[in-house]
Amino acid sequence: MRTHRCHQTVFLVIVLVLGMSALVAADYTGEQVMWEVYNRDSGDTMRANLVMTLTNARGSVRERSIVQYRMDTEGVESKLMFFLSPNDVRNTSFLSLSYEDGRSDAQYMYLPALKRVKRIASDGKNDSFMGSDFTYDDMGSRHPDLDTHTVLRKEQIQGTSTLVVESIAKGNEDYPRTLSWVVEGEWFGLKKEFYKQDGTLGKTLSIGAFEQIDGISVITDMTMKDWEKQTSTRIQMKDVAFNLDLDDNFFTERQMKMGPRG
Amino acid sequence: MRIKQKLLFVFLVLIMAGLPSLAANSTFSGMVRDYAAVRTQTMDMPVHEQTLDAFYEHTTDSGQLTLHPVVYSNPNKELQLDLAEAYFDFYLERADVRIGKQKVIWGEAEGAFITDLVSPRDMRSFILADFSEIRKAVPAFKVDYYAGLYTLQGIWVTHFIPTSLPASDSMWVQTPTLPFPPAITSVSFTEPAMPETTLDNSEIFLSLGRFGNAISWKLNGGYVFTDEPLASSVTAPDSATRVIFQAYERYTFVGGSFNTALGDVVLRGEAALALDKPMNSLDTSINPPITIEKHTQVQALIGLDWNMAGAQWSTQYLMVYTHDHTASLVFQMKPVREFAHTFTFRVQDTFFDEQLTARLFAYIEAEPLNALIRPSVSYNFGNGVLLEGGFDLFLGDEDGTFGTYGSNSLAWAALRWYF
Repeated sequence: MRTHRCHQTVFLVIVLVLGMSALVAADYTGEQVMWEVYNRDSGDTMRANLVMTLTNARGSVRERSIVQYRMDTEGVESKLMFFLSPNDVRNTSFLSLSYEDGRSDAQYMYLPALKRVKRIASDGKNDSFMGSDFTYDDMGSRHPDLDTHTVLRKEQIQGTSTLVVESIAKGNEDYPRTLSWVVEGEWFGLKKEFYKQDGTLGKTLSIGAFEQIDGISVITDMTMKDWEKQTSTRIQMKDVAFNLDLDDNFFTERQMKMGPRG
Repeated sequence: MRIKQKLLFVFLVLIMAGLPSLAANSTFSGMVRDYAAVRTQTMDMPVHEQTLDAFYEHTTDSGQLTLHPVVYSNPNKELQLDLAEAYFDFYLERADVRIGKQKVIWGEAEGAFITDLVSPRDMRSFILADFSEIRKAVPAFKVDYYAGLYTLQGIWVTHFIPTSLPASDSMWVQTPTLPFPPAITSVSFTEPAMPETTLDNSEIFLSLGRFGNAISWKLNGGYVFTDEPLASSVTAPDSATRVIFQAYERYTFVGGSFNTALGDVVLRGEAALALDKPMNSLDTSINPPITIEKHTQVQALIGLDWNMAGAQWSTQYLMVYTHDHTASLVFQMKPVREFAHTFTFRVQDTFFDEQLTARLFAYIEAEPLNALIRPSVSYNFGNGVLLEGGFDLFLGDEDGTFGTYGSNSLAWAALRWYF
């Protein structure tokens, strides 16, 4: 009798687990989740003040302030950044144009001492973004077709229901496997783990705060920890504004020299 | 430094430091630098200079005022105060207008001046603590008109400003040995005669450019003076003496530049055609021994920039061709070659979270083979404080542009504070 009940319990658990998995799988595939993340409304234009805090392995801290403008139009993401501090890079500006069709990014740098806008060699997507623990890939939106995605499970994180998605890179990457904790329905990540080619954990991105601004969920505080180098970079976003009156004329050589607006 | 000048300087600094607190849209920033250099051959220290390089900017809805005073302090020399730039910018909907003393930079070349002929150069020292200090500002009206991706730029330089050359007691001065007969025991040069400040003697520049993602390009042209003086005539006060008079001469140039990306590599180029450029011809066997001839000259440069192994790399090739070349042609009394070939090479990498930067820059002149090799490192302490050090090594044939300074190879160090 006891054995029979035990078998019944095991059967019920299996049915429940399979049922849950089937439900998750039926609700969303990994591809669907990551396309939802990719296509999430992030405003056609945006302006924000970024404070980037870099902490090295010895605990020494450096801070950088940047004003960033972004515009998305027909397959092109334009970003214009003005460095406010430290003083030795003040008034330097950086313009990047990223294309959905896979063309290499166009990148330009304005150095005020030289009074010249220079086209610069496009950094690899996996290279460090301005000496931080973020890569250029981390700072932008990674195209879903570059990986295969699987929803592993549902998980509560910081009191929020998330879908844990495993992404395996199709090409050769420094971190070929990542796990993303995506907020169901809101479609932004609350945490991301980057695994190295040997399978060990390389970096962790954790979200410190997010806010609803103009109806858009915005991550306003995030930290990337590099476990191998024992360094971390925290990015805080302030004064975030969406749907500004920006057009192609703003993301130009003229504006790079002129400096931030307002 | 005279008392009046000192008072003016103190007054200017106080005004500039105080203005930001009065006006919310004003900024006061700049850099203080201590730079010292030792000659590796003689182990003397020809340079130990303190520099204040300051900017005051006041912004309004319609434009911006920029003041850029610079102060140099050298041991046992008078304080040198200069208003390096002072201009107003007016921002209109489709145009920008800049009026005042300003530096203008044209072209794609790094460390070479091909179409970059608006601002003359400060060549009093062949080696500067900052390459950006090589350009001198000119009094000008500059208008940029924008039409989509296109920019039309016109510049009117109201007063001609020449390139500054080394003083007669400078370690960088080149004293030419002119092949006069032994009976002529004294040859001297007069100070160059400046053109009169008339409308006719102003300079005009025009540029049309397109800022494109696939390719960016500019077409340039100008009606200018030679930035360096030419020997205009020779007199003989007595049988053993010759006096060479100097002046600046007119010519026209047209040119252009471009940059594009080939995958992850940036390809850039620049070329200029100087039409009937005045040059000196030196032949002491005839009378007059020095004359001015006009020759068409072509300068062309091609460069590549790329990232590899985490470092930034760059290389350039520059060719100068002088049409209808003769063996008697000279520039600053040194022979001009029909073809001159120069290569540059640069590599830069950062370490320790971008706190340490190592650089190597080299100019190599092919004929005669000579070079300037410039390895350096800088350490960024954060908060705008940088410590730098390096070498400027002049190598190769002493008849070359760089080899001629063989005894002036330097080891240097600098401390900078940006505020």
